[in-house]
Amino acid sequence: MTVADLSQASRIRERRWVTQCALSRVCGCCAMSLERPVAFLGTGREVDRNAFHLPPMHLGCAEELRRTPGADPDWHLVTTSGFEFVRPDRDDPDPEPRFEPNSLVD
Amino acid sequence: MAISDVQEYMHLTDEEIEQLGRELDAIRKEVEDSRGPEDAAYINRLIRIQRYLAVAGRLSLLLGTHSKRTRVPAAVTGATLLGLHKILENMEIGHNVMHGQWDWMNDPEIHSSNWEWDTAQPAEQWKHSHNYVHHQFTNVLGYDNDIGYGILRMAREQRWSPVNLGQPVYNAALATLFQWGVALHDLDIERIRKGEKDPKEMKRQLKQIFRKGRNQILKDYVVYPALAGPQWRTTMAANVAANLTRNLWSYVIIFCGHFPDGAMHFTEEEIEDETRAEWYLRQILGAANFEGGPLLHIMSGNLGYQIEHHLFPDLPSNRYGEISVKVKALCEKYDIPYTIGPLHRQYGQALRTIVKLSVPNSWTSSDQPEPPTPPRSRRRRSDSERPDRIRQLGAWSRGTSQERKAS
Repeated sequence: MTVADLSQASRIRERRWVTQCALSRVCGCCAMSLERPVAFLGTGREVDRNAFHLPPMHLGCAEELRRTPGADPDWHLVTTSGFEFVRPDRDDPDPEPRFEPNSLVD
Repeated sequence: MAISDVQEYMHLTDEEIEQLGRELDAIRKEVEDSRGPEDAAYINRLIRIQRYLAVAGRLSLLLGTHSKRTRVPAAVTGATLLGLHKILENMEIGHNVMHGQWDWMNDPEIHSSNWEWDTAQPAEQWKHSHNYVHHQFTNVLGYDNDIGYGILRMAREQRWSPVNLGQPVYNAALATLFQWGVALHDLDIERIRKGEKDPKEMKRQLKQIFRKGRNQILKDYVVYPALAGPQWRTTMAANVAANLTRNLWSYVIIFCGHFPDGAMHFTEEEIEDETRAEWYLRQILGAANFEGGPLLHIMSGNLGYQIEHHLFPDLPSNRYGEISVKVKALCEKYDIPYTIGPLHRQYGQALRTIVKLSVPNSWTSSDQPEPPTPPRSRRRRSDSERPDRIRQLGAWSRGTSQERKAS
């Protein structure tokens, strides 16, 4: 189990970092290799759509990030084994890259 | 110049390119919706076979080399089985598992975060240099470090230097020692030489490489030969042969993916403002397939379907064959080149490019249509210099969800 490390958390809304985390399969908060299960933080709407905008994270890092003072109070934590990385299309109503968990873990 | 301005696309309207993107999305969705127990059985079967091959190879060397009568056949059999095990593990299993192709199975063992493969490069570094740098910036000069692996000049747009005269020799050395070349790939030696690499990150990576390389050497050249007792030399020679076979095979397969005639290179200007559909187009035009039967495709990690792998790197590799039929039909429909040929021809073309580009451009003629771009520096870019996908990724709100709702 990785110790929570938020050293890279300031980048979790940068497009380049989001893409790099998705493809390199590293945690958006600490930049270390992801572990199973992969954690996503998202709003209720993101959970309902199964489309998350923040990069994948370690479970411990996501829990720690949720506890930080600047955290979004509407964030929910979802864990999954795998995810699809979806690049938005030209006319996509959601212009942000997103993650669709495909094998939720309790 | 945008990617859509490349000659091969000029006949397509923006709407046609977007329509092609939607049709490729539909192929992806169909596979995502239909993957299930049969796919899981495929990868589990292959892992079992790969492990049987490893055990059979080790047993042949341990038990068969003590008698003078069986020594040579046992050594040949052992080396062959071990070579097959390493090829299967690296190409069809390790490479594809690390792309996350099997994460959906929810199997703790067959998962992109856990798999450590039987080669010198640490999995974590492979996932950065290959999954991110190569797959995100496919064939973009100065960004994709797979274009010549920092050793070879593979595009006419790259500046020639007298050092390139030695390319045929460097190429032979790279092929022979391929696992070690790949092990150093993510270090980016050029940036280290120029003092541009973060020393802390470099130290961390070097430690990882040292640890992984040491374990590989201990396993193949110390522990197993020691277990063979008096026949340690035979076992060591068989292990050298197995590693060499894997090195040469994986080198050939990888070089057939992007260097045969028809696989194009791009410039950073061409990926500016790239939409998702244009990203798909760049993957199609930057990759090359080779033909073969099911066994050849499995032993090459299904990279004979390089175009399909680049379009959908995280879909299960056993589905690339069926996907290729649909992608090829789409390429015909939209009149887009689909580069494919027999393995020997594809590798022959890559080898010819290596030899031709060892000398200045004026001495040779180009073998493929390439966009007229000025000579470019071969300097590699760091992650911070790699561009954002401006339109492809869209504008990013930095606010919280509540701020976004409020706006």
